[in-house]
Amino acid sequence: MKDPGRTLWQALQEKGYSRREFLQFCAVTAASLGLKASAIGAVVEAFEKKPRPPVVWLHFQECTCCSESFIRASHPIVADALLDVISLDYMETLMAAAGHQAEKSLADTLKAYDGKYILLVEGSVPTGGDGVYCTIGGRTAIAILEEAAKGAAGVVAWGNCASYGCIQAAHPNPTGATPIDKLLRRTVVNVPGCPPIADVMMAVVSHILVFGRLPDLDGQGRPKEFYGRRVHDTCYRRPYYDAGMFVEAFDDERARKGCCLYRMGCRGPVTYNACSVSRWNGGVSYPIQSGHGCIGCSENGFWDKGPFYQHLSSFPGFGIESTADTVGLALGAGVAVGVAAHAVATNIRKRSLIAENRQESVVAREPSDDKKVQP
Amino acid sequence: MSQRIVVDPITRIEGHLRIEAVVDNGVITDAYSAGTMVRGIEKILKGRDPRDAWAFTSRVCGVCTTVHALASCRAVEDALKITVPRNADLIRNLMFCSQYVQDHVVHFYHLHALDWVDVVSMLSADPAAAAQLAQSISPWPKNSPGHFAAVQQRLKSFVESGQLGIFANGYWGHPQYKLPPEANLMAVSHYLDALEWQKEIVKVHTIFGGKNPHPNYVVGGMPCSLDIEELGAINTERLNHVAALVKDAIAFVEQVYVPDLLAIAGFYKDWAAIGGGVENYLAYGDLPTRGYGDPTSFRLPRGAILGRNLAEVHPVNPRDLAEIKEYVGHSWYRYGAGDGAGLHPFQGETELNYTGPRPPFDALDVQGKYSWVKTPRWKEHPMEVGPLARMLVAFASGSTDVKEIVTAVLAKLDVPVAALFSTLGRTAARGIETQLVAHWMKGFLDDLIANVKAGDTRTFAPDLWEPETWPATAEGVGMTEAPRGALAHWIRIQDRLIDNFQLVVPTTWNASPRDPRGQRSAYEAALVGTPVANVDQPLEILRTVHSFDPCLACAVH
Amino acid sequence: MRQDLSFHNYKRVYVWELPVRFYHWLNVLCVLVLGITGWLIGRPPGLTSLPEAYQQQWFGTIRFVHFVTGYVFLFNFLFRLYWGFVGNRYARWNQFIPSTRRRVNEMVEVIKVDVLQTRIRGIIRIGHNMLAGVIYFVTFWVFLFQAVTGFALYSGMSDSWIGRMCAWVVPVFGGDAVVRQWHHAMLWFYVVFTLVHVYLVAYHDYVEGRGTASSMVGGWKFEREDLLGH
Ligand code: HEM
Ligand code: HEM
Ligand code: NFV
Ligand code: SF4
Ligand code: SF4
Ligand code: F3S
Ligand SMILES: [Mg+2]
Repeated sequence: MKDPGRTLWQALQEKGYSRREFLQFCAVTAASLGLKASAIGAVVEAFEKKPRPPVVWLHFQECTCCSESFIRASHPIVADALLDVISLDYMETLMAAAGHQAEKSLADTLKAYDGKYILLVEGSVPTGGDGVYCTIGGRTAIAILEEAAKGAAGVVAWGNCASYGCIQAAHPNPTGATPIDKLLRRTVVNVPGCPPIADVMMAVVSHILVFGRLPDLDGQGRPKEFYGRRVHDTCYRRPYYDAGMFVEAFDDERARKGCCLYRMGCRGPVTYNACSVSRWNGGVSYPIQSGHGCIGCSENGFWDKGPFYQHLSSFPGFGIESTADTVGLALGAGVAVGVAAHAVATNIRKRSLIAENRQESVVAREPSDDKKVQP
Repeated sequence: MSQRIVVDPITRIEGHLRIEAVVDNGVITDAYSAGTMVRGIEKILKGRDPRDAWAFTSRVCGVCTTVHALASCRAVEDALKITVPRNADLIRNLMFCSQYVQDHVVHFYHLHALDWVDVVSMLSADPAAAAQLAQSISPWPKNSPGHFAAVQQRLKSFVESGQLGIFANGYWGHPQYKLPPEANLMAVSHYLDALEWQKEIVKVHTIFGGKNPHPNYVVGGMPCSLDIEELGAINTERLNHVAALVKDAIAFVEQVYVPDLLAIAGFYKDWAAIGGGVENYLAYGDLPTRGYGDPTSFRLPRGAILGRNLAEVHPVNPRDLAEIKEYVGHSWYRYGAGDGAGLHPFQGETELNYTGPRPPFDALDVQGKYSWVKTPRWKEHPMEVGPLARMLVAFASGSTDVKEIVTAVLAKLDVPVAALFSTLGRTAARGIETQLVAHWMKGFLDDLIANVKAGDTRTFAPDLWEPETWPATAEGVGMTEAPRGALAHWIRIQDRLIDNFQLVVPTTWNASPRDPRGQRSAYEAALVGTPVANVDQPLEILRTVHSFDPCLACAVH
Repeated sequence: MRQDLSFHNYKRVYVWELPVRFYHWLNVLCVLVLGITGWLIGRPPGLTSLPEAYQQQWFGTIRFVHFVTGYVFLFNFLFRLYWGFVGNRYARWNQFIPSTRRRVNEMVEVIKVDVLQTRIRGIIRIGHNMLAGVIYFVTFWVFLFQAVTGFALYSGMSDSWIGRMCAWVVPVFGGDAVVRQWHHAMLWFYVVFTLVHVYLVAYHDYVEGRGTASSMVGGWKFEREDLLGH
């Protein structure tokens, strides 16, 4: 392996950019990360001094949609990221090499950059059947993940698959699909979403590269920077929510007006993601803006919290239509009937007791007419 | 001298594909195609609300994202006898077309091109000559000497950095790379342009479906409302945005993709005789112009072609229990009726049953079961699906716009119609189709606008939304043409829940292992006869396999 | 035994001190308000008029009332916990826990008499009977559960320190959606509890004539002098 490589600043110089343009680029990057002006210095320094950090991207049980999302990034665009910012040494979707040559690329990077490369994982790992549900080059996903994670400087779990197991982990999870942070005994940055937003993905990578450390994570391992707010908190339809103006059917009068989709099952109030701020594909829209409720695609286990078009999920074991309310209502009615039956039974079975009480009260009242009751 | 080569992972595809091939004297004599990852989505769908199915099946694949959502919605609509409003059909068509354009362009440049384009060779190109070459075939504004020089310089320093990233360990310098350095430079420059542009066209999905990948659909129509007097709906601004995206898409396809395809194909005409495969072709058709209920109105017609015979197009009926069957004789599943049985998807079963070697392994047991992909057959025939099948079915059905462009391309390359039945034909058909689809997309947008102008803004049929309105049991099929070929979902609904859900996906047809009678499916058949000059650098295997645009997450699901 | 029952002297006993009564009725009010507003949050009605969003705020107001009441509910509950340590013997925390064999026997007895409606009559506790005590004990846990899940949900939308203290609950449940689901489901515990509880209070009053119902108003119960030893 040759020397660690050029810096971004060198790369840009070669592309004919001036120092002033370079600083502008840094400022834009910083702004896209939501940084204050004072932090730009760090960005400049990072891009000036560091060679392109090696990155390994593994695919396991996934739909490649996280990769597809990643290549939709707009700042920086992925071509610039690949040529100037990172060195994507292994990624099955884009790499030229195949078969043994591909395996060599992976092995070379793990060896030459031990402790220095960043590991990005797309997809869950099947632990059922001793791992036979996902093999690459005859090896199990578990084996490959463990080997690749050993020398990684940082591990990022892309999407709901790697973060939470996603669809293949939905009931009955036929392959034992497991999120990667359950398999690795180390910090994993979870970037959930099905898929995550392109520019969020790019920004998570930039965060690690530019600041040289992992972003602050919340209790579920998610960067607070992008998962600290509910979709609902910054949803532009929120005024309709507070006003209690809800869409009641797709394409009804309120849907056209852009009212709140809460009654259509919108999971925005229970979903932490950047959709309503960053929006999708360069800020064009996000699910709610295009008329469909949020299905909670960045939340743990969201597939088993359907049906998607009703506010409450169905109660496990009671069928799709039965929510907590149907079950509760049945229970309440049952108890009311029981209470009524008990009341009737009381009047029959305790008839004599009640009669005795009456008797006692009559006798007790007589002396009270002429004497004081208590001494 | 017989040698066995294994290529695993096959890269620049979607998913996990393994090819084992037997090479005799520089030619492949037998091949085995294995899907090595499974999720069991058909099992996961059981017992769920049919209205949610689209979201689940959409996650079968994020590369051909939207097509499964569409097939699922149609399956449920078919079962419940819902007819969607015309605008919903048109919006679905727009999303369909934009998906094709994005997926095909990305396939050509980012998944397939490096099989034909030598990145290292472009470093020695003359940028001015490259620009001259490019300008002679296209008015694309970035085909300038200055731009090409900058790209070359950029790649040069990239290579000099010693960190080759995604280009590391490619088969650079392989004698099978035939392009002159200038053509390589042009292609690499467009590789970067395509990577930047593809993120634009998907905005059509974002506008109508809220995001991409995995935009939103809804049973009974589309979730977005159309209202040209409202800020909160698809209004004039949104339609203008779509129009601009469509315009750019046509420009990119006509000025970059198709000229590059033809230029590169000109250097690889020998591949018009390699990789033919099963030579039976199947298409369900799509792009309704008078509603999905009327297949005769489809821009892409439905039909089957057997044994290269373009004189006859057979009718196809996926509801007929005798036509489509899936086998698991060589796949890791168990059938209740025995593993030799073939089941129509309405009766389909998905019971995982791994019998392969314990990992880590060097070879699969190809005599027994060796893949997670099931093996579908149409009237017991192995069928190829995809752009080539679609173009052939349309050509043979007499579709005038298809006939015109296919004939023009064949003339330009100076090859006979038979050249279509090949690795090169497959790659060419994809480009031809993209050009057609880009123009049709403009037509669908015009139709949508005309419809709104005429006062029809409905996008959703609300009548059968509530499960109370459904029959106790119902069965339906939803068909579409995914970028990789004929796609259908079969659903059985019982007591308002999914009782059985089966997908037979394009790559299931193409990438499957042989059937119990020993008939090879498309990949395996196409590889037989493919030459391999150097078994340590099996570039030719990639060429033929990539020409199908494999998607294994789809194939297995 | 039969004839003994007919003639007894009764004594007035001050059972529920003012703080307990105050707690009780404030709690009843909170549960009522939280239940109704909570129900509306979960299933808002569709309105037929279509004003501009700025012209109304009813849903926001419902939620606001729910949150404010949530605070009152929590502090009232905490106060009751405190009173369990300083209140009179009937208010003490140990009244809720069947810690001795005798107490367990009493529970069985109560089930026999009140639920199965046999005629055997044994010990009568002056405060709540042991079965009631255990049910209140469970109820206290549900109060706590409701407050913790409620404030955990609240932590997503406010900087309230109580919310922050409860935020750990969300990852334990696996996400806001699950917390909300359980928070909603527990509404039905209150419905069922209230039905049974109010009925039983009425039942005891009716069958025993010891002033059970009014005891939570005035604090007084009437007990047979011959049994007051217990
Ligand atoms: C007797 C006690 C309570 C009952 C019966 C109750 C009931 C409910 C119900 C039924 C919901 C609707 C859930 C849904 O369908 O999504 C709800 C929501 C909620 N409750 Fe409660 N609740 C109680 C106490 C509390 C407390 C003490 C708090 C603390 C602040 C609280 C905070 C919330 C919050 C934050 C929501 C979600 C509101 C939103 O996201 O707009 N609740 N409650
Ligand atoms: C009209 C309605 C109600 C009446 C007349 C009533 C009356 C009473 C009475 C008489 C007691 C003492 C029981 C005993 O002697 O064992 C009591 C205790 C209790 N009640 Fe109610 N109640 C009512 C509604 C409720 C409601 C709605 C709740 C809460 C959901 C509730 C919660 C409790 C609790 C927790 C206790 C135990 C008190 C303590 O020791 O702190 N009550 N109630
Ligand atoms: N095969 C396949 Fe797909 C496509 N095109 C699905 O239907 O790729 Ni992901
Ligand atoms: S998280 Fe969703 S989008 Fe990403 S790979 Fe998994 S299924 Fe696809
Ligand atoms: S549409 Fe969804 S996220 Fe937006 S305000 Fe309504 S409930 Fe919240
Ligand atoms: S469905 Fe997913 S994309 Fe955003 S709005 Fe909801 S988290
Ligand atoms: Mg299938």
